[in-house]
Amino acid sequence: MKKRGEVFLFLFVGAFFGSDLRYLESLIFKTSHGFPLGTLVANLSGALILPFLIHYLQDRYKLSSKVVLSLSTGVLGSYTTFSTFTADTYRLLENEQWVALLLYLTLTIVGGFALALLGNYWAATQAFNDYVKRGKKE
Amino acid sequence: MTNFLLVGLGASIGAFLRNEFTLQQSKLKIDFPIITLLINISGALLLGILTAQIHNGAILLLLGTGFCGGFTTYGTFNMELSQLWFQHRLGRCFIYFLLTYIFGILGFIVGIHI
Repeated sequence: MKKRGEVFLFLFVGAFFGSDLRYLESLIFKTSHGFPLGTLVANLSGALILPFLIHYLQDRYKLSSKVVLSLSTGVLGSYTTFSTFTADTYRLLENEQWVALLLYLTLTIVGGFALALLGNYWAATQAFNDYVKRGKKE
Repeated sequence: MTNFLLVGLGASIGAFLRNEFTLQQSKLKIDFPIITLLINISGALLLGILTAQIHNGAILLLLGTGFCGGFTTYGTFNMELSQLWFQHRLGRCFIYFLLTYIFGILGFIVGIHI
Protein backbone atom coordinates (compact mmCIF):
# COMPACT_ATOMS: atom_id res chain seq x y z
CA MET A 1 0.00 0.00 0.00
CA LYS A 2 2.92 2.29 0.80
CA LYS A 3 4.35 1.63 -2.64
CA ARG A 4 1.05 2.56 -4.26
CA GLY A 5 1.08 5.87 -2.42
CA GLU A 6 4.60 6.58 -3.63
CA VAL A 7 3.67 5.80 -7.22
CA PHE A 8 0.70 8.12 -6.90
CA LEU A 9 2.90 10.94 -5.59
CA PHE A 10 5.51 10.58 -8.35
CA LEU A 11 2.82 10.50 -11.03
CA PHE A 12 0.93 13.38 -9.46
CA VAL A 13 3.94 15.71 -9.35
CA GLY A 14 5.03 14.76 -12.87
CA ALA A 15 1.60 15.25 -14.42
CA PHE A 16 1.14 18.53 -12.58
CA PHE A 17 4.28 20.03 -14.12
CA GLY A 18 3.76 18.46 -17.54
CA SER A 19 0.23 19.78 -17.97
CA ASP A 20 1.13 23.24 -16.67
CA LEU A 21 4.01 23.43 -19.13
CA ARG A 22 1.51 22.63 -21.91
CA TYR A 23 -0.89 25.25 -20.56
CA LEU A 24 1.93 27.81 -20.39
CA GLU A 25 2.85 27.09 -24.01
CA SER A 26 -0.77 27.53 -25.08
CA LEU A 27 -0.61 31.03 -23.53
CA ILE A 28 2.80 31.89 -25.00
CA PHE A 29 2.08 30.65 -28.51
CA LYS A 30 -1.25 32.37 -28.87
CA THR A 31 -1.79 33.29 -32.51
CA SER A 32 -4.06 36.05 -33.77
CA HIS A 33 -5.95 33.75 -36.17
CA GLY A 34 -6.46 30.96 -33.63
CA PHE A 35 -3.99 28.42 -35.00
CA PRO A 36 -3.37 25.96 -32.13
CA LEU A 37 0.39 26.43 -32.12
CA GLY A 38 0.72 25.76 -28.38
CA THR A 39 -0.80 22.28 -28.58
CA LEU A 40 1.29 21.53 -31.65
CA VAL A 41 4.56 22.57 -30.00
CA ALA A 42 3.78 20.54 -26.86
CA ASN A 43 2.70 17.44 -28.79
CA LEU A 44 5.57 17.42 -31.27
CA SER A 45 8.31 18.08 -28.72
CA GLY A 46 6.82 15.47 -26.39
CA ALA A 47 6.66 12.89 -29.18
CA LEU A 48 10.38 13.38 -29.84
CA ILE A 49 11.55 13.34 -26.22
CA LEU A 50 9.55 10.34 -24.94
CA PRO A 51 11.43 7.67 -26.98
CA PHE A 52 14.71 9.43 -26.18
CA LEU A 53 13.90 9.22 -22.47
CA ILE A 54 12.85 5.57 -22.59
CA HIS A 55 15.60 4.32 -24.88
CA TYR A 56 18.51 6.51 -23.80
CA LEU A 57 18.22 8.81 -20.76
CA GLN A 58 16.78 6.06 -18.56
CA ASP A 59 19.83 3.88 -19.09
CA ARG A 60 22.40 6.65 -19.33
CA TYR A 61 21.52 8.23 -15.97
CA LYS A 62 20.42 4.96 -14.32
CA LEU A 63 17.03 6.46 -13.49
CA SER A 64 14.89 4.50 -11.05
CA SER A 65 11.59 3.06 -12.26
CA LYS A 66 9.69 5.60 -10.15
CA VAL A 67 11.52 8.53 -11.75
CA VAL A 68 10.96 7.08 -15.22
CA LEU A 69 7.26 6.65 -14.46
CA SER A 70 7.08 10.24 -13.21
CA LEU A 71 8.85 11.59 -16.31
CA SER A 72 7.22 9.40 -18.98
CA THR A 73 3.67 8.63 -17.84
CA GLY A 74 3.52 11.73 -15.65
CA VAL A 75 5.34 14.68 -17.24
CA LEU A 76 5.37 13.71 -20.92
CA GLY A 77 2.05 11.85 -20.81
CA SER A 78 0.29 14.96 -19.54
CA TYR A 79 2.45 17.45 -21.42
CA THR A 80 1.19 15.92 -24.65
CA THR A 81 -2.52 15.58 -25.20
CA PHE A 82 -4.81 13.90 -27.65
CA SER A 83 -8.16 15.30 -26.51
CA THR A 84 -7.15 18.94 -27.03
CA PHE A 85 -5.93 18.00 -30.51
CA THR A 86 -9.42 16.71 -31.40
CA ALA A 87 -10.99 19.88 -29.94
CA ASP A 88 -8.62 22.10 -31.98
CA THR A 89 -9.41 20.09 -35.12
CA TYR A 90 -13.14 20.50 -34.58
CA ARG A 91 -12.81 24.24 -34.00
CA LEU A 92 -10.84 24.77 -37.22
CA LEU A 93 -13.36 22.60 -39.08
CA GLU A 94 -16.33 24.54 -37.73
CA ASN A 95 -14.72 27.90 -38.50
CA GLU A 96 -13.95 26.65 -42.01
CA GLN A 97 -10.26 27.53 -41.63
CA TRP A 98 -9.32 24.96 -44.25
CA VAL A 99 -5.66 25.88 -44.74
CA ALA A 100 -5.02 26.00 -40.99
CA LEU A 101 -6.92 22.72 -40.55
CA LEU A 102 -4.91 20.95 -43.24
CA LEU A 103 -1.64 22.30 -41.86
CA TYR A 104 -2.53 21.37 -38.29
CA LEU A 105 -3.66 17.84 -39.20
CA THR A 106 -0.62 17.18 -41.38
CA LEU A 107 1.88 18.50 -38.85
CA THR A 108 0.25 16.60 -35.99
CA ILE A 109 -0.36 13.31 -37.77
CA VAL A 110 2.79 13.04 -39.88
CA GLY A 111 5.04 15.15 -37.64
CA GLY A 112 4.29 13.25 -34.44
CA PHE A 113 5.03 9.88 -35.97
CA ALA A 114 8.16 11.12 -37.76
CA LEU A 115 9.48 12.72 -34.58
CA ALA A 116 8.81 9.56 -32.56
CA LEU A 117 10.86 7.60 -35.11
CA LEU A 118 13.55 10.28 -34.95
CA GLY A 119 13.56 10.08 -31.13
CA ASN A 120 14.33 6.36 -31.39
CA TYR A 121 17.20 6.97 -33.83
CA TRP A 122 18.50 9.82 -31.68
CA ALA A 123 18.56 7.50 -28.65
CA ALA A 124 20.33 4.75 -30.58
CA THR A 125 22.92 7.21 -31.99
CA GLN A 126 23.65 8.67 -28.55
CA ALA A 127 23.98 5.22 -27.01
CA PHE A 128 26.34 4.18 -29.82
CA ASN A 129 28.48 7.33 -29.42
CA ASP A 130 28.75 6.71 -25.67
CA TYR A 131 29.80 3.14 -26.38
CA VAL A 132 32.52 4.26 -28.80
CA LYS A 133 33.78 6.88 -26.32
CA ARG A 134 33.97 4.30 -23.56
CA GLY A 135 35.86 1.98 -25.87
CA LYS A 136 38.49 4.65 -26.59
CA LYS A 137 39.09 5.32 -22.88
CA GLU A 138 39.75 1.68 -22.07
CA MET B 1 -1.98 31.39 -10.71
CA THR B 2 -5.24 29.64 -9.85
CA ASN B 3 -5.49 28.54 -13.46
CA PHE B 4 -2.20 26.65 -13.22
CA LEU B 5 -3.41 24.94 -10.05
CA LEU B 6 -6.66 23.88 -11.73
CA VAL B 7 -4.93 22.49 -14.83
CA GLY B 8 -2.25 20.71 -12.77
CA LEU B 9 -4.74 19.18 -10.37
CA GLY B 10 -7.05 17.93 -13.11
CA ALA B 11 -4.15 16.50 -15.12
CA SER B 12 -2.68 14.70 -12.11
CA ILE B 13 -5.91 12.82 -11.53
CA GLY B 14 -6.22 12.15 -15.27
CA ALA B 15 -2.67 10.80 -15.45
CA PHE B 16 -3.21 8.62 -12.39
CA LEU B 17 -6.31 7.09 -13.98
CA ARG B 18 -4.49 6.63 -17.29
CA ASN B 19 -1.72 4.75 -15.48
CA GLU B 20 -4.22 2.53 -13.66
CA PHE B 21 -5.86 1.60 -16.97
CA THR B 22 -2.56 1.15 -18.83
CA LEU B 23 -1.41 -1.32 -16.16
CA GLN B 24 -4.27 -3.57 -17.27
CA GLN B 25 -2.75 -3.89 -20.76
CA SER B 26 -0.27 -6.58 -19.66
CA LYS B 27 -3.12 -8.64 -18.19
CA LEU B 28 -4.96 -8.64 -21.49
CA LYS B 29 -4.03 -11.30 -23.97
CA ILE B 30 -4.30 -8.80 -26.80
CA ASP B 31 -1.20 -7.88 -28.75
CA PHE B 32 -2.42 -4.37 -29.53
CA PRO B 33 -2.27 -1.09 -27.55
CA ILE B 34 -6.02 -1.16 -27.02
CA ILE B 35 -5.89 0.60 -23.65
CA THR B 36 -4.25 3.80 -24.97
CA LEU B 37 -6.66 3.70 -27.90
CA LEU B 38 -9.69 3.53 -25.59
CA ILE B 39 -8.24 6.20 -23.28
CA ASN B 40 -7.73 8.63 -26.16
CA ILE B 41 -11.16 8.03 -27.73
CA SER B 42 -13.06 8.25 -24.43
CA GLY B 43 -11.05 11.33 -23.37
CA ALA B 44 -11.90 13.07 -26.65
CA LEU B 45 -15.58 12.14 -26.23
CA LEU B 46 -15.60 13.47 -22.68
CA LEU B 47 -13.92 16.71 -23.73
CA GLY B 48 -16.59 17.14 -26.40
CA ILE B 49 -19.34 16.69 -23.81
CA LEU B 50 -17.66 19.11 -21.39
CA THR B 51 -17.10 21.72 -24.10
CA ALA B 52 -20.79 21.66 -25.02
CA GLN B 53 -22.25 21.46 -21.50
CA ILE B 54 -19.96 23.51 -19.27
CA HIS B 55 -19.61 27.24 -19.68
CA ASN B 56 -17.64 28.01 -16.56
CA GLY B 57 -14.01 28.82 -17.49
CA ALA B 58 -12.48 27.53 -14.27
CA ILE B 59 -14.29 24.18 -14.39
CA LEU B 60 -13.36 23.80 -18.05
CA LEU B 61 -9.70 24.35 -17.15
CA LEU B 62 -9.88 21.75 -14.38
CA LEU B 63 -11.80 19.08 -16.29
CA GLY B 64 -10.99 19.89 -19.93
CA THR B 65 -7.43 21.25 -20.23
CA GLY B 66 -6.51 19.50 -16.97
CA PHE B 67 -8.28 16.18 -16.59
CA CYS B 68 -8.96 15.29 -20.26
CA GLY B 69 -5.59 16.73 -21.32
CA GLY B 70 -3.74 14.67 -18.72
CA PHE B 71 -5.84 11.55 -19.20
CA THR B 72 -5.31 11.38 -22.94
CA THR B 73 -1.81 11.26 -24.35
CA TYR B 74 -0.21 11.91 -27.67
CA GLY B 75 3.38 11.09 -26.70
CA THR B 76 2.64 7.50 -25.67
CA PHE B 77 0.46 6.99 -28.73
CA ASN B 78 3.27 7.95 -31.10
CA MET B 79 5.80 5.98 -29.05
CA GLU B 80 3.63 2.88 -29.44
CA LEU B 81 3.27 3.58 -33.17
CA SER B 82 7.05 3.79 -33.51
CA GLN B 83 7.47 0.53 -31.56
CA LEU B 84 5.10 -1.29 -33.90
CA TRP B 85 6.97 0.24 -36.82
CA PHE B 86 10.39 -0.94 -35.62
CA GLN B 87 8.98 -4.40 -34.90
CA HIS B 88 7.85 -4.49 -38.55
CA ARG B 89 4.23 -5.00 -37.51
CA LEU B 90 3.11 -2.49 -40.08
CA GLY B 91 -0.48 -3.71 -40.38
CA ARG B 92 -1.09 -3.21 -36.67
CA CYS B 93 0.76 0.10 -36.78
CA PHE B 94 -1.46 1.40 -39.57
CA ILE B 95 -4.70 0.14 -37.98
CA TYR B 96 -3.77 1.69 -34.61
CA PHE B 97 -2.95 4.96 -36.38
CA LEU B 98 -6.25 5.02 -38.30
CA LEU B 99 -8.47 3.97 -35.37
CA THR B 100 -6.98 6.60 -33.07
CA TYR B 101 -7.37 9.55 -35.42
CA ILE B 102 -10.73 8.62 -36.94
CA PHE B 103 -12.52 7.59 -33.75
CA GLY B 104 -10.75 10.24 -31.67
CA ILE B 105 -12.00 13.12 -33.82
CA LEU B 106 -15.40 11.45 -34.26
CA GLY B 107 -15.56 10.97 -30.48
CA PHE B 108 -15.14 14.67 -29.86
CA ILE B 109 -17.78 15.54 -32.47
CA VAL B 110 -20.23 13.03 -30.95
CA GLY B 111 -19.51 14.48 -27.50
CA ILE B 112 -20.27 18.01 -28.67
CA HIS B 113 -23.63 16.96 -30.10
CA ILE B 114 -25.07 14.68 -27.40
